[in-house]
Amino acid sequence: MKFLPLIWSSLLRKRGRTLLIFLQVTVAFALFGLLQGVKTAVDHAIAATRADLLIVHGRLSFNNALPIGLLQQIKSVPGVKEVIPVSLLAAEYQNPTQKMGMAAVRPDSGWQSAFTFVIPPADAAAFRSTRTGILVTSDLEKKYGWKSGDQIPLVLNVERRDGSNTWTFQVVGTFKDTDLGAAPARTLINYDYLNEGRYAGKDTVQHFNVRVADPKTAAAVSKAIDARFTNSPNETRSESLRLLAQMSFKSIGDFEFLVRAIVMAVFTSLLFATATMMIQSVRERRREIAVLKTVGFTNGMVFALTLAEAVLICTAAAACGLGLATLAIPHTLPRFHVSMPAIVIAVGLASAVLVALCSAAVPAILATRLAVAPALSGRK
Amino acid sequence: MIAISLSSLPQRVGPILTIIVGVTCAVGALVSMLAMGAGARRQEMADVRDDRVIITGLDAQGAMSAIPLNEAAVVGDLPQIRRDAAGRPIVVMESISLLYGRERGTGASLAMALFGVTPNVTEYRPEMRFTVGRMFRPGLHELVASNSCVRQFSDFDLGARPSIEGDRWTVVGHFDLGPLNQCVIYADVRTIMADFSRSAYSSIEVMLRSPADFAAFRASISANPALHLDAELQRTVVMRNYRQLNAILDYASYFVGAIMAIGGMLGAMNSLYAIVDSRGRELATLRALGFGPVPVMVSTLFDSMLLALPGAVLGAALAWVFFNGLSATPFGYAFRLAVTPALALLGVVWALAMGFIGGLPPALRAVRVSVVSSLGAMES
Repeated sequence: MKFLPLIWSSLLRKRGRTLLIFLQVTVAFALFGLLQGVKTAVDHAIAATRADLLIVHGRLSFNNALPIGLLQQIKSVPGVKEVIPVSLLAAEYQNPTQKMGMAAVRPDSGWQSAFTFVIPPADAAAFRSTRTGILVTSDLEKKYGWKSGDQIPLVLNVERRDGSNTWTFQVVGTFKDTDLGAAPARTLINYDYLNEGRYAGKDTVQHFNVRVADPKTAAAVSKAIDARFTNSPNETRSESLRLLAQMSFKSIGDFEFLVRAIVMAVFTSLLFATATMMIQSVRERRREIAVLKTVGFTNGMVFALTLAEAVLICTAAAACGLGLATLAIPHTLPRFHVSMPAIVIAVGLASAVLVALCSAAVPAILATRLAVAPALSGRK
Repeated sequence: MIAISLSSLPQRVGPILTIIVGVTCAVGALVSMLAMGAGARRQEMADVRDDRVIITGLDAQGAMSAIPLNEAAVVGDLPQIRRDAAGRPIVVMESISLLYGRERGTGASLAMALFGVTPNVTEYRPEMRFTVGRMFRPGLHELVASNSCVRQFSDFDLGARPSIEGDRWTVVGHFDLGPLNQCVIYADVRTIMADFSRSAYSSIEVMLRSPADFAAFRASISANPALHLDAELQRTVVMRNYRQLNAILDYASYFVGAIMAIGGMLGAMNSLYAIVDSRGRELATLRALGFGPVPVMVSTLFDSMLLALPGAVLGAALAWVFFNGLSATPFGYAFRLAVTPALALLGVVWALAMGFIGGLPPALRAVRVSVVSSLGAMES
């Protein structure tokens, strides 16, 4: 630490050059942090999705209607703990530009365990007891100024028995969806209210949310559920949330080879640049290094000082670059909430040290081999 | 001037290598990534012909909707449509549905389109060549799949009997689609419409006598008050469908390319500063001899751009060696990367720009070298 002023002054010797190297390393690590950070963040997010939740929908598409009667059959499949029917709709508030998603669920006991929602207990109880109750995301609450107790009319894409499309709901609270890629404008209503009042499509749902007792059995239970309905008029397809997340990210993951190649290219050019700078720096400071040796610095200390110089500038610049990447990452995939994973920062800083050591190795050795007398007298 | 610049280059191996490596990495990365966009576009346009027209239905508001059977019947009478060997107009009715296939290797279940078409699709697509089996027979539950499907998925082998909505279908033929490498599955449109209780087509595909007939064809369709249809060239529809994918690929390419270019420029700047500094006495001599500031500046810029050129060529060459023809499947769309001559040229221009911008500040420094002090200074 006491040698810090010495290292500092040698870096400042050629301020312009130091600044340029600093910027170059910053840019390189910003790019590394961005690419590797997004990739690792996505990997972590997928690993964090619930493997014990299945979505059971019609085989042909996500929107095919299934009869609600399938519920009992699904529940009887071994390994299944909860089955909750879900209908999906689109809703508008006041005019067609103010759209929101809507899910109609039947809040049977234990229903929350079959979803990735976080609901305050009081709101959840109110939702169960109020037939016309509606839970909204906090985004919507803020946007339209809704409060608990408000009666709001919404235009749904499902017709009522009286022919109109306007349904009235009572706001009973808020909820949050922790699922990857959850849309910010969504609402929850009671399935029974929808089913009793609707003109067509009675007793049908879009899918069932199923919770299995053991996440490891998710794949087997999926197959068992689908097998039960094969060759019936209502063939199903069951997928766990984790599998769905993997599938939607699978194609983005194709970029891995490209990311690796780019990161390698970045570090190669960086290595060259830093090595050149260090060699130049040592060559210019021959007289100073000679003085240091005369004054009593051992070869080992001179070696260490040269390395320390490179390590200081590389890690400082890498920290800046990684900091920029951390700021940028949440804006790269707007639909998903990703942020810089700590491991990428750790690996980045470690790489910075490695690059510094590799590039400063040769100049450091040159510095130790410096002959004092010729250097002091100015002869080459 | 140029000869003098070139003669001094061999002494400055370190900085020169830094510039070349930096430019190589930046150009290599840019060209590799742009090769994705080029490859995607090549695949998208692989089956596009300017005499092919796609017709969709319009509802009252002008939005896309289904085509009623009576309107579809009228289309076939229009004179601009090409007739096949038997004199029938080449008009293909289409009804699109959804199908799931299990991916070979991963076993993942992926959705794809099932095209219900009239059997004369072979006239509309003369590039369609059956490699095994035959075309489906009208009215039966028979499927034909392109060889891309067979390669990617395990459900479409010859004789396989996949189940769709409770009915069993049989795969009776495999075909190639010329340069197009996408998975396409055809079935008889009337069977599809009967199975799914549809009374209208999704779209109609028509082959014109010649591309020049399109304007008249479109006019006839719009002028007919009984038809609520929209006719577009296949090229227009394809470009619109893939606009978002292409935009994402281009954006990512230029983003990463720009960041790497900045890194490369910083490195070039650093190296050129070093070169200019070490040429201090040489430049001062030139000034003393009477060379004005402009030739000195130009000489430095020329050095810089000259050094960038081998980097560009090397970068484009490496991109070609490692990435040309590589298969990629971003966002589910499969194609091969294409490192085209146009991209190589773009790489060269990019490198020259890097050399120019990166060389500008050092060139200005070269001009401001003080003649007297440089000539009098001892080599430090």
